[in-house]
Amino acid sequence: MTAGLNRLSRERQHFFSERDYMDSMKKIYHFISTMKTGLMLLVLLGLAAAMGRVIFPDSFSHAILFKMLLLLLLINMTCCTINRIIWFKSVFIYKRRKGFLKQFGILLLHAGIVLIMIGGVIFSCYGGSEQIQIVKHETKDISHVIKTNQVKPISMHLDDFKIEFNDDGSASQYYSFLTLLEDGQTKEKAVISVNHPLNCGGVKAYQMSFGYKVKVKHINSEGMETEDLFNEGDVLKIPGTERVVKIFRYIPNFDPAHGMTSITMRSDNPRIIFSVYENNNLLGVGAVEFGERVEIDNNVFAVFTGVEPYTVLCVKSDPGLPMVLSGGVMFMLGVCLALLTSHSKKAVRK
Amino acid sequence: MMMALIDEIIYAVLAVYAFGSVLYFRGARTGQKKVFQAAFIMAITGVVLNLLVLIIRTIIAGRLPLSNGAEFLLLFTWITVVFYLILQKKIQYKGAGGLVLLMAALLILAGAVLMKEQFGTAMPLMPALKSPWLCVHVLTAALAYAGFALAAGLALWCVWGKSQAIGNSIIYSIVASGFAMLSLSIVFGAIWAEQAWGTYWSWDPKETWALVTWIIYALYLHLHKKMESQERQASIMVIAGFVFVLFTFFGVNYLLPGLHSYGVVLNNLNLFG
Ligand code: HEM
Repeated sequence: MTAGLNRLSRERQHFFSERDYMDSMKKIYHFISTMKTGLMLLVLLGLAAAMGRVIFPDSFSHAILFKMLLLLLLINMTCCTINRIIWFKSVFIYKRRKGFLKQFGILLLHAGIVLIMIGGVIFSCYGGSEQIQIVKHETKDISHVIKTNQVKPISMHLDDFKIEFNDDGSASQYYSFLTLLEDGQTKEKAVISVNHPLNCGGVKAYQMSFGYKVKVKHINSEGMETEDLFNEGDVLKIPGTERVVKIFRYIPNFDPAHGMTSITMRSDNPRIIFSVYENNNLLGVGAVEFGERVEIDNNVFAVFTGVEPYTVLCVKSDPGLPMVLSGGVMFMLGVCLALLTSHSKKAVRK
Repeated sequence: MMMALIDEIIYAVLAVYAFGSVLYFRGARTGQKKVFQAAFIMAITGVVLNLLVLIIRTIIAGRLPLSNGAEFLLLFTWITVVFYLILQKKIQYKGAGGLVLLMAALLILAGAVLMKEQFGTAMPLMPALKSPWLCVHVLTAALAYAGFALAAGLALWCVWGKSQAIGNSIIYSIVASGFAMLSLSIVFGAIWAEQAWGTYWSWDPKETWALVTWIIYALYLHLHKKMESQERQASIMVIAGFVFVLFTFFGVNYLLPGLHSYGVVLNNLNLFG
């Protein structure tokens, strides 16, 4: 008898706690799925973005708190959208009420935002993006950018880099002529320019920037010639002399009146600006043409023989992109249906 | 020739909008029909001259006037006044014209002070701007901003207690359309950014502040029904939204130091600045 009662009360306890549990789950679900919570999150996000932008301009979007906010918003909007789909079905599919387009638009626009955010999460988990610099005639491996089941190594070879100019000498377009190699074998030839990225099997590459390496030949006192490529700002040490040469900058279109800045990027009047130091003391600064022999010390010469361009590409793999794009299209369509269709129809939702 | 003329015409637009504004205010105070008629003629003259400036810019640059801050400002102001005139015709209410034309005049003035060098010159487009997305992105942004400007003008007029004739529902409709346009503009911008820079969203200042603006108006649209009895609060929100619009436009371009709106600086050269 007592045992039976005990069992009963235990069962009851069990029963109660399960109901409590269900109740609180429902409450939690209700809390995270209401519009009120969503709006609050949206306000917080706006505040965080605005303040973050001002206080930590470069890093706020990586902050854990900020990501949490975005994640909460994603959860909230997902629940909201699911609720809405259920409601939408009951009202429009079964009861055939008026105002279909507007409500469908609202549904579409929220679902679109959810997709955009999920696509963003996919990118941060499975995507990659990196800036790579390739000198003309050089090959760079880009396999590590692709994080999903990549089998064969992929690399890029820069065949050429060209700038197209307007009449006034300003740049009208930048082109990288590339060969895409898979496993060392030529897979595809491509030309990338600004606004015309390469899209090849899950990898995208964008024209971001460019620059030049300077070719320098130096001749030491024994008459030995050596040629090398240098970055702007590099220091050249020549054996047999205490003096060093700093290859300061390549100026494609030199004018003494403009000093260290080029008039245009077109190589109408190229010069190399360099300086010579001895024991950290500046001995002199010069601007020379390609091929000019510069005497650095007794019988030690440097010749700037030319420049080799390099391109800077942003290489990216983003498996979430199709989702973001479809989300964006849904969002745009939804916004137009929801807000640009006649406002006179009163919403039917209670 | 035209380059020299364009500055003069811009000052004329400024003067005509300002004068029209004074007449509208006077008309609203005295209720004289003649004054309103004169004000209306001023507004039309301003719109025509403003359009002339846009056409001249199109001829000078050899492309639609959509690619720098000055062109954007001229377009956005023009659309604002055109929207106002359409609304005036539609609801037969002229009172708020003073505020709307005053805003138009102030916008042109701000352009004349801050972007003077952009009016008469025509530089070739930089590579990043050579995209079909430029047109839709900037056009939708201008439509959105114009809607928000008009809504803010009407809301201010209501808060001032000058009018019961403009219902909150008119303001709501205008804001809703502006919000739709801002949404489109942001998505077009994101599509473009993905093509030009390889990321559709990088939290750069313009993107961030455009999002903040978008959130403010989203809030207004969501809360609007709850605020039906509190017209004042709703109006204040519309005005606040426009303050953010102005900050997104002027603030990001001119106040935040050292931030290139559309620049990505890498290594030694910069393709987007
Ligand atoms: C998600 C990305 C983007 C967002 C949210 C965005 C936002 C905006 C907004 C709100 C405006 C209105 C005017 C203003 O406030 O300045 C605008 C205008 C403009 N946008 Fe974007 N934009 C984006 C991407 C881009 C890209 C990729 C480019 C070009 C490379 C671009 C070029 C322009 C230009 C030229 C204007 C017109 C005038 C001005 O300079 O202010 N935008 N954008």
